[in-house]
Amino acid sequence: MTSPEPAAESSESQEKGPFYVLRARFRSGNLGMIPVIIALILTWIVFELLNPHFLTPRNISNLVLQIATIGMLGVGETLILLLGEIDLSIAAVSGLAGGILVSLSVFMGINPVLAIAGAIVAGALIGLFQGFWVTVVGVPSFIVTLAGSIGYQGLLLALLGQEGTVPLSDPVLLAIASDYLPKPVGVILGCVGVAAVVLMGIRSRKARLDRGLSAPSQGSLIGRFILTAVLVGLVVWILNAFMGIPLLGVILIAFVLLFAFITQSTVFGRHIFALGGNREAARRAGINVRWVRMGVFVLASTLGAIGGVLEASRLGAASPASGGSTLLMDSIATAVIGGTSLFGGVGSVYNALAGALVIGSVENGMDLLSAPSSTKFIVEAIVLLAAVTVDALTRRRRRSQ
Amino acid sequence: MTIALLLPETATSPRYESQDKPHFMEDVKQLDPNVNVIYSNAQGNASSQQQQAEAAISNGAKVLVLDPVDAKAAAVIANKAKQSGVAMISYDRLITGTPNVDYYVSFDNERVGRLQGQYIADHTKKGGTVVMINGAQTDNNALLFAKGAHEVLDPLFQNGTLKKGYESYTPDWDAANGLREMEQALTTLNNKVDGVLAANDNLAGSVIQALRPQGLVGKVPITGQDATDQGLKNIALGYQSMTVYKPIKDETQAAAKLAVALAQGQQPPAGLVNGQIDNGSKQVPSVLLTPIVVTKENIADTVIKDGFTTWAKIGVPPQ
Repeated sequence: MTSPEPAAESSESQEKGPFYVLRARFRSGNLGMIPVIIALILTWIVFELLNPHFLTPRNISNLVLQIATIGMLGVGETLILLLGEIDLSIAAVSGLAGGILVSLSVFMGINPVLAIAGAIVAGALIGLFQGFWVTVVGVPSFIVTLAGSIGYQGLLLALLGQEGTVPLSDPVLLAIASDYLPKPVGVILGCVGVAAVVLMGIRSRKARLDRGLSAPSQGSLIGRFILTAVLVGLVVWILNAFMGIPLLGVILIAFVLLFAFITQSTVFGRHIFALGGNREAARRAGINVRWVRMGVFVLASTLGAIGGVLEASRLGAASPASGGSTLLMDSIATAVIGGTSLFGGVGSVYNALAGALVIGSVENGMDLLSAPSSTKFIVEAIVLLAAVTVDALTRRRRRSQ
Repeated sequence: MTIALLLPETATSPRYESQDKPHFMEDVKQLDPNVNVIYSNAQGNASSQQQQAEAAISNGAKVLVLDPVDAKAAAVIANKAKQSGVAMISYDRLITGTPNVDYYVSFDNERVGRLQGQYIADHTKKGGTVVMINGAQTDNNALLFAKGAHEVLDPLFQNGTLKKGYESYTPDWDAANGLREMEQALTTLNNKVDGVLAANDNLAGSVIQALRPQGLVGKVPITGQDATDQGLKNIALGYQSMTVYKPIKDETQAAAKLAVALAQGQQPPAGLVNGQIDNGSKQVPSVLLTPIVVTKENIADTVIKDGFTTWAKIGVPPQ
């Protein structure tokens, strides 16, 4: 082994300068979130230079609203990619969930909470169906979800084909995407969030030390807390300078944190990584491969459905075209740009959030400039290709060790 | 005798299955009960459409009434029809780049854009800022709508009567893209928007969603097109100002008259063909129908009276 153990990185890095981490990570083939953060900062600098409205509280608030759906779908896609599979149906599932939501709410007059539950349960059932086909029948996920994607478009058409675009009228459903937290509540929520990060950090360090594992030094831990506090404070301050934190943003962050916890701190989550890294080894280690894979497919489609509910609320409508256009591409790109490997076993849910910020910023910025469609397509293509190239290059590093 | 009706898709508009197909069938039956109609829908796929056209010719169709998925790709179908001695009517969208199109039936798309542009010109305050949310740049009709709107508005932009604040084409006519465009337009213009030209009702819906949090809904004239139930509801509620209604019945009737005449080997009825449209290879004899502006005042006298929709479907009490 020429590279240090990942867990020891942070303590050693302090002795060898700031670039040590970067170099060590590149050598170990695990760049984590570094490329996506660099991409995000570059994107923001470029657009701010081109249009001074870009980094205003108002536009940051727009950005939060605009990434909610792709962020949610990106988290779902990340889970699937961690397994080393792919889900081409997640956008179609979101469209179908939107269709089910309006059908239940508008045509049948069902109470909004039940309508949301209905849409999400439908997503979970779709996940179960796809998971069954992949794990039990053994058809590759690429094909199962491709077929699924076409089928769900058909179902959506059957639901809404005669009606076209159906507007939502229920105030609760519309409020999901148009409400903002009262400003003091936003501040309190930010404080609670930072406190939670501090508590969890201290507990996890103690737990590692108790078990005799390497742990981050006290100094680096405090540094991380300060960074978190500054970032959270900044975000809350900026969003409160406009209309407050959008409810959609809170929902997205809540799901990102939940799934970050599931993937990093539960047995199920560690099994996903183990499976994505080497399925045969995972099986021999006694992991119930079938159940873990099935579970991931259920979670991904459920997240797709939740994303569809958010999108329907944001557009105030669902139509037979919901979940179409570039949504699937954006969802996969969100996961991959975030640094989650297409080859399985490497990545994190946080990356999906960062990826959504990059994709969202590019789309937001180009619309702010009212860029021609030609430019939009070309720029998005370049961003995606660059992201996958970074993935391919670092993977080569990983393999060569 | 056999006629084939070949429609492009079902995803972005319910009109094809719910209006064009049943009306066309009915119209043909009335004109000549002995004519058989083959119907196919290409579901947005240009190569499916080619297969469907070939199948129709094999099944003995004498006339193809074709609404192309892809205006240029459909030239191949027109050429094939010519070789087989089958007449070709380009329906609703123009088949371009081939001399083998016999007739074109459609609403005058530039006129749709001119009606939208004129509405904005008449209802936006002097010196006001206009936002234009156009359709998909890959759709020839969207280009014609925008062209018509610019014909009316560009002179006003140039002499300073109005100001163009923002303009964008919307990839795939997608509502989510349209919403983001309008949000960004409001951001870059600091909400100084006095009129919005939205290319259709779906995009008008997105514009309304973007205006709502800014408290601007109902204060800014917004155009639309297609007279969808969603659009008509927004008009009845005062959120949207107008839509352009294209009575599909007129369009199917014109196409049916042409198709039946051609199938019987006769000339089309006098006065039906009223213009010519250049498709890049030929001046195609055309039936160009007149679109109608619908506002809150004339919903009852237009779309409701024609049976195009009902108050119940729109979802508001009769007005």
